[in-house]
Amino acid sequence: MSRRARRYRLWAVLLLLVVLHFALRPWLADPRAAPDLLLLALLVYSIRARPGHAAIAGFVLGLLADALDPVAFGSGMLAYSGVGYLTAWGKAVFFAENIGVSAGFFFGGTVVRDLLVLLWGGHVGGAALLWQLGVWTMLKGLTTAAAGIVVLLVFRSWLNVRLSD
Amino acid sequence: MPERFTSRWDTLAFAVCVVLSLAARVAPDSVQTWVASGTRNTILAPLLEIQLQAERFRTSRARFAAVVAARDSAALAAMELGAVREENDRLRELLDLGARISTRYVSAEVLHQSSPVDGLTLLLTAGANNGVRPMSPVLSPAGLLGVVRTVDGDRSIAVTWQHPDFRASAMTLEGTVFGIVGPAGAGRVEPILELTGVPFGQRVPNGTRLFTAGFGGVYPRGIPLGYVTGVADEIEGLSRTYWVQPAVHPSAVSHTIILIGPALDLTDVFGQ
Repeated sequence: MSRRARRYRLWAVLLLLVVLHFALRPWLADPRAAPDLLLLALLVYSIRARPGHAAIAGFVLGLLADALDPVAFGSGMLAYSGVGYLTAWGKAVFFAENIGVSAGFFFGGTVVRDLLVLLWGGHVGGAALLWQLGVWTMLKGLTTAAAGIVVLLVFRSWLNVRLSD
Repeated sequence: MPERFTSRWDTLAFAVCVVLSLAARVAPDSVQTWVASGTRNTILAPLLEIQLQAERFRTSRARFAAVVAARDSAALAAMELGAVREENDRLRELLDLGARISTRYVSAEVLHQSSPVDGLTLLLTAGANNGVRPMSPVLSPAGLLGVVRTVDGDRSIAVTWQHPDFRASAMTLEGTVFGIVGPAGAGRVEPILELTGVPFGQRVPNGTRLFTAGFGGVYPRGIPLGYVTGVADEIEGLSRTYWVQPAVHPSAVSHTIILIGPALDLTDVFGQ
C-alpha cells in the first residue's frame, strides 16, 4: 500500500470517529461514562504522528471541546494539546503499534485529559474531584479503550495494527 | 529515542499551543464567547446537527409509548378544559379581573458532551431564532436547571445549578422562610445545593420543599429547587445553612423548557 493511500485511510478512520462521536452519543447510556470518540480520534492520530503535529491536532480538538462546554475556556485546548504531544512522544518509548499498548494509551490519554481539564478549570474540587476522577473518568477510560480496540481490530489493515509482538 | 521525536520544531509547536491555551484561558469573557460561538456556528454546526437528529431519533423511538400515554391524558383533560375555562372567565368577569397572562416557553433538547465538566453548562438546541435570550430560565418538569448564558442563532449555552456562579433566591411553599440557594462546596461527592442566609430562629425541617422566590427578576416565583436534607452549618444566634437535595440533575436531563415570557408566579403549576 502506498504511503499516500495509507494516509487517506487514516484520515477516513479519523473522520468516521468524529462523526460517530456525535451520531452515537445520544444512544450511549450515561454521558459521563460513554466512550469519547473525539479523544480516541486524537489518540489514534497521535500514535502515528510527530509530537508537534499531535499537539496542534490536540489544540484544534481542544478548541472544539471548549466551544461545546465553555466552563473554563482554554482548559480543553491545553489538555488535548498535552495529551496529543505526550502520546506521540510516548509512542517512541512504547512502540504503540501493538494493540495492547495502544489500549493502554487510550485509557491513559482519557485519564490525563480529564485530570488536566478538571485541575486547570478549577471548578470541581475536593471529594467531587476525586469521585469524578476515581469513578467516571475510570469508566470513561475503560469504555474509550474498549472502543479503541474495536476500531483497531476493524481497521487493522488500514491502520497497520499488529495483533502481537 | 528516534531522532524525529526530539526535533526543536515539535517542542516549539507544543509551546505555541500551550501559550495560546493560556491566552484563551485568561482572555476576556467577550473574546471567549466570540470564539466559542464562532466555532459552534461554523466547524461544529454540521456535527451538532447530526447529534440533534440522532437525539430526536432516539427520543422518538424510546419515548413513543410515553408520548402516547401523555397524549391520551391530555385528551381527557382537554374534554374538561372548555367548561373550566368558561367558568374561569365568568368568575374573572365577576371579580373584574383581566385575562390571565400565560407564560411563553420553548422546548429544547440537551446535547450532552464528553467533557468531565459537562453538567456545569449544557448545550441546548434552541437559540435567538426561537426567542431565547441571555438570562432566560431553564427548567425541566421536575424543577429548575439553570439559566441561559450565551445565545447563538439555533443553540444556546445554559449555566446549571452545579456551576459555582449559580445563585437563586429561595423560599418554602408557604413563603415563611427565605434564603439564597447555590451549589454546595467541595466537600460533597455528588453535586448538591445549599440554602444559606436562613435566620437562626427559623427552623426548616428535613423534607421541606424549596421553590424560587422570584426576587431579582431572573427566575419566576414557584419553580422547585429541591428539598432540605439537613443542617450543613450554623452561626450561633445568627443564621443556618441547610443541605438541599436538588429537584433535577443536569446529567440526567435530555429535554428542557426555556421560559421566554415575563417572569410570572408558577407556584400553582409546581406547588401541587
